[in-house]
Amino acid sequence: MAGFFNKIRNASTPSTAQTSKELVSKKKDEIVPELTPLEKMLQNAGPLREDATDKFFGFENALFYSDLFRESVINYPSLSPSDSSNGSRPRVNVTLRPPLNPTLAPQQQTKKGISAKEAMKQKQALSAGQPAPGQPAVKPEDKPDTPEYKKKQAMLKGPILELAQENAMPYGMDECTFTGLKDIFLAVLQSNTRTGVLSPQRFLEIFKRDNEMFRNSMHQDAHEFYGLVLNDVIANVEANARKIQERLEVNGQSDLAQSVENALGSALVNNATGYRTPGTGWVHDIFEGVLTSETKCLTCETASQRDETFLDLSIDLEEHSSVTSCLRKFSAEEMLCERNKFHCDHCGGLQEAEKRMKVKRLPKVLTLHLKRFKYTEDYSRLQKLFHRVVYPYHLRMFNTTEDAEDPDRMYELYAVVVHIGGNAYHGHYVSIIKTPDRGWVLFDDEMVEPVDKHFVRNFFGDKPGMATAYVLFYQETTFEKVREEQEREGMEEVKLATQAANVAQDESVDKAETAPLKRQVTQPVIMPEHESLANLAHAATAPGLANAPTSPAVETPVASELPSGSLSSSGLITSSTAKMETKSKDDLKREKKEREAAEKAARQAEKEKEKLKEKQYKEDEKKRREDQAKAMQARRNEHEELQKALEASKKSAAQEEAVRKKEEGGSTGFLDRSKKGSKSMSKRSFSFFRDKNGPAVPDSPVNGDAPEKEKKGRISMGLGRKKSMPFLS
Amino acid sequence: MFVLPPPPRYPAGAYGVGLGGVVPLIETNNTLSNPTGPEYQFLVGEGTYVLKEDLHLATPPPHPSEAPVVNPNPLATTPQPATAGTKMSILSLETRPPPFFYKGPAATTLSLGGTTLSIQEHPSEGRYSTEGAKSSEDGRATSSEVPTGSITLGSAPAFGEGNSLLAPTVSKDVNKKKKPKNNVTKSNSSFISRVIVNDNLARKLTERPSDGLFAFANINRAFQWLDMSSPTKQDYLTKILFTKAHCLCHDVNMVTKSVSHIDVIMGFSTGEIIWWEPISQRYTRLNKNGIINNTPVSEIRWIPGSENLFLAAHMDGLLVVYDKEKEDGHLNPEEEGLNASVSGSEGELSNGSAHGNGIRINKSVHSKNQKTNPVAAWKLSNQRINAFAFSPDNRHLAVVSEDGTLRVIDYLREELLDLYYSYYGGLSCVCWTPDGKYVLTGGQDDLISIWSMADSALVARCQGHRSWVSALAFDLWRCDDRSYRFGSVGEDGRLCLWDFSVGMLHRPKTAAPAARHRGSISSRITAPHRTDTNTSANSGGMGGPGTEDEWEENVIAHPVQPRAVIPMLPPVLTHVIDNHPACWLAFTEDAIITSCKSGHVRTWSRPGVQAATA
Repeated sequence: MAGFFNKIRNASTPSTAQTSKELVSKKKDEIVPELTPLEKMLQNAGPLREDATDKFFGFENALFYSDLFRESVINYPSLSPSDSSNGSRPRVNVTLRPPLNPTLAPQQQTKKGISAKEAMKQKQALSAGQPAPGQPAVKPEDKPDTPEYKKKQAMLKGPILELAQENAMPYGMDECTFTGLKDIFLAVLQSNTRTGVLSPQRFLEIFKRDNEMFRNSMHQDAHEFYGLVLNDVIANVEANARKIQERLEVNGQSDLAQSVENALGSALVNNATGYRTPGTGWVHDIFEGVLTSETKCLTCETASQRDETFLDLSIDLEEHSSVTSCLRKFSAEEMLCERNKFHCDHCGGLQEAEKRMKVKRLPKVLTLHLKRFKYTEDYSRLQKLFHRVVYPYHLRMFNTTEDAEDPDRMYELYAVVVHIGGNAYHGHYVSIIKTPDRGWVLFDDEMVEPVDKHFVRNFFGDKPGMATAYVLFYQETTFEKVREEQEREGMEEVKLATQAANVAQDESVDKAETAPLKRQVTQPVIMPEHESLANLAHAATAPGLANAPTSPAVETPVASELPSGSLSSSGLITSSTAKMETKSKDDLKREKKEREAAEKAARQAEKEKEKLKEKQYKEDEKKRREDQAKAMQARRNEHEELQKALEASKKSAAQEEAVRKKEEGGSTGFLDRSKKGSKSMSKRSFSFFRDKNGPAVPDSPVNGDAPEKEKKGRISMGLGRKKSMPFLS
Repeated sequence: MFVLPPPPRYPAGAYGVGLGGVVPLIETNNTLSNPTGPEYQFLVGEGTYVLKEDLHLATPPPHPSEAPVVNPNPLATTPQPATAGTKMSILSLETRPPPFFYKGPAATTLSLGGTTLSIQEHPSEGRYSTEGAKSSEDGRATSSEVPTGSITLGSAPAFGEGNSLLAPTVSKDVNKKKKPKNNVTKSNSSFISRVIVNDNLARKLTERPSDGLFAFANINRAFQWLDMSSPTKQDYLTKILFTKAHCLCHDVNMVTKSVSHIDVIMGFSTGEIIWWEPISQRYTRLNKNGIINNTPVSEIRWIPGSENLFLAAHMDGLLVVYDKEKEDGHLNPEEEGLNASVSGSEGELSNGSAHGNGIRINKSVHSKNQKTNPVAAWKLSNQRINAFAFSPDNRHLAVVSEDGTLRVIDYLREELLDLYYSYYGGLSCVCWTPDGKYVLTGGQDDLISIWSMADSALVARCQGHRSWVSALAFDLWRCDDRSYRFGSVGEDGRLCLWDFSVGMLHRPKTAAPAARHRGSISSRITAPHRTDTNTSANSGGMGGPGTEDEWEENVIAHPVQPRAVIPMLPPVLTHVIDNHPACWLAFTEDAIITSCKSGHVRTWSRPGVQAATA
């Protein structure tokens, strides 16, 4: 139900320009598996990239999207000619688990009538890490627009790369964390689709085998995990290098020498500079920096220096600070006194001393661990700090030593690991990662979603929802690159600025939407003429790309959806009176329909989509107006429904109904019908309608969310309409 | 045209329960408190500043039509509307000479613009009133009498002077100023939700001391007009609540202010602009429905000396000059929004090759079509403009953006003169020294950077804030020819006070060892680029290759200076003034006034003053 509301409102979005792209995006809120924004984004993508940076799989990605790290992992150990004469990489043994039976999918949709209120409650409960008390029999994953739902859809859509077996042998290494990781990366690389879900089962098994503390079901710390993975990888690589070296000494093979050199190359270089143990290699090269701790004994004034390497910096936080400031504080002078005295070699005893840590060598990838979990005596447990800590998109380090090389090195933020939850013992991690050419992408388990640049700033710690940035990844960049990028992202910025204005203006569009994860607004609202045109053109020529993995049944609604957002709403209108149909009937019908549609629609879908898209684009202006009117009508009908559907049990029925209707709408083509009459809806009638329905809404307990939306929608629609008038006429 | 629907009824429990059971209050009141204690005072060289009072401006709850609950999903990808904290402006109707006069070029070697400099003073509250100025420019011909062109002091020509179309009918009656069209209290506009006028407004206005300060403040969707000289200053004179749009910025015209007339302009998150005259309670909407530009207005200022013209910075990187009395025309939003062509809506472009001077002129002030707004429109980049400031000599404009650039623009000639870059991160605020010799910027690198205009170079960085810097202001009562006092507030809720003098700001050491981006600064320092912007085309390590080519001709883009070669200044004071991020500050004769994001306006009495008042 909520989905309908949203959609309708979207369709009526009377913003300055409702682009066809936006319409496409609307499907996201629909009930049936549709194109996710991600897929949409990828529709116009070119051929698959060699380096797989354009693949978006739901899994822990921060490491994958570090170009250096990915390439190193994939290319290590370099293959000797004897291993594979043609130089191709060993094929990872991937089990492609088929997507869940598509015929099952509709069944979940029967339960969709959950109110947003309930969903909200559930989500709150979920984020608090507890099962919701008295939770209705509806699973959160069945509610559209929730992350749970999207994750499930991702699983349905597949492909699911299941890495249950180990491929250590071709690498000439024993099974270890590194090989597991490499498997994952290779699997993604070798996958011929851009999206999908990767299940790193074997990796986790190995990891758990090697790390005892992860062998339980407790929630683990992402930072710890990161550290362990890196350390394991280092250890594995080192061990392997040693092994190869031994073998090398025995055999004296020249081809292997190459790989050893690769592994050891940087380490050897660094050996000369003196702060490395031999055999470390590329992992260090990427992530490792060097800290110098200067300790000055306050008794004898002797200053001593000690270098230590780090893979990440754990920094203390204070309220209302910036990462810059926290880093500076990290390097601030610290007194070693009382129980924490310093053993001075010069005085020969424990003395009070001053200590400060500075960065001597900056790493290529700077990992900042924000110490959000603090042990408090009061509670005798770890407490999460919700300090507002701001992080800029770019960073330079102030706390370098004077002899540091390139002390003004510029870093750019490229990944944020976000912890959601109220304490240290529970919670959920998601990551937001800047992909090389697709902008920022949110990875939440199986769900992968493109987000805009400003989204990254939502995790300073002061926003509700208990989501805070926990680990920040900054990678080395240059001023020139940053400028170039800013030039490039210029239009995006304009777009976002316009959206921000529209959010404030078209009240219906954004604020009114309670559906939390709706993406519609992040699509371009303005400038349909140019940007969206380009995208659409691409999409039309290569529609199969993104859709390839979707099942036929899945495709049907997508296609039918495309004509416009209004189509489905009109479908709703026509059949709203039939709302009271029984559930069982629906089920039967639907299942049957599904099968039929699967065959028919799959074929039609593509054609239709293309056609309709084009058509739609042309009629964009016109439709916008129609959509408005249609939405009004739809809403009115919705009201009637609501009043009718008083019992809670009908929630699901309604939802089912909706699905079915939408499908009907697609196949029977209500386009004409909906076009008629839409123009006859006048502003006046619209406002009248609002007045009439306003008070009636609360009567329906079915959808607790409805009245709220209704109200919101009302004013906003009026405003939006007003706004769009000059453009329309 | 459009009738606002009747206010919705709130069915108790229908949804309120799920959202916490609290039906949002429609109105909350300002409160005034006088907290005391050691944390409410701070000691600087000149003495102790003490918190006089804390005026908490009520943050209005969301409009009833809005969702009363924040989206509980922290990962919600819906964009948020633009908001700004509590921004204020302070206005004194009495024209008193400012404490610090900038005495013109005689005192310095500054050669701005290459012409003789005007006598210019920096006012206590933004710009000095024209009363004195008009008398001092008797010799000037037509332009100074032109009310719509900007009346600038001394030799700086008024903005748009050359364009006869901007020289409107001279009204004989100087005292009769044109008021906006619509009555705000009787408005049925959907844009304005509610207007609450103090019952005793008329009496309050007559009884108040003539030198008392007015304050205007925007906080979320509310705009308040306060009398700071009143003992009951928490009772606003007028409060306007807007329906949905947030007022992000505003400015008061220092030229037209009088007991019977105050011109206020406000910029909104919807891109719209309201011209409001509080005495008569009338208003006019400009850029209605974002017809000229539909991105939020991040900063708005009257053009110094002008009665009618003001400059608004839109978040898509467009600077637009509006005339408060003109109707909206079309500045074709599509074209202007897309990088494609360089054409304004009227096809009215004096300078076709936009890249020649580094800014794209979508519509020039010299355009022949001046019947409608905008008067002029300049596209700087596609990045959000965060703030701008006019130079005291009214010739230049310093603009800072989210991409970390500082642009110095000769807005009379519509030319970009200099382009500087932050150390890293965006720049959020900018201001000029009272004598116009230096520009200060604060930003997301937690630094305040001091840029010398004469040398076209960064001369110092000021490190003291623990988070992003949000506002800067000079303390004119503690500035003189050689030394400056300024204050800054940041997201860390801190106030920092800084002293710097010309002597301290020695030129950067040019013999720095090689780093990636380092231009030959030495060559530029000697070049009097101001008088001839074509001479030094050194673009050093800036920009991408494309921009370099485009800009090489006329603009000096200054590369980022490494940390090691730039002096780092410490603050003379850093003090936590609020436990919320601070967002604005101003200096008055007897106090420092700060505001924070949650609406606390704190007045810190200067040393000695509190003895008198307490």
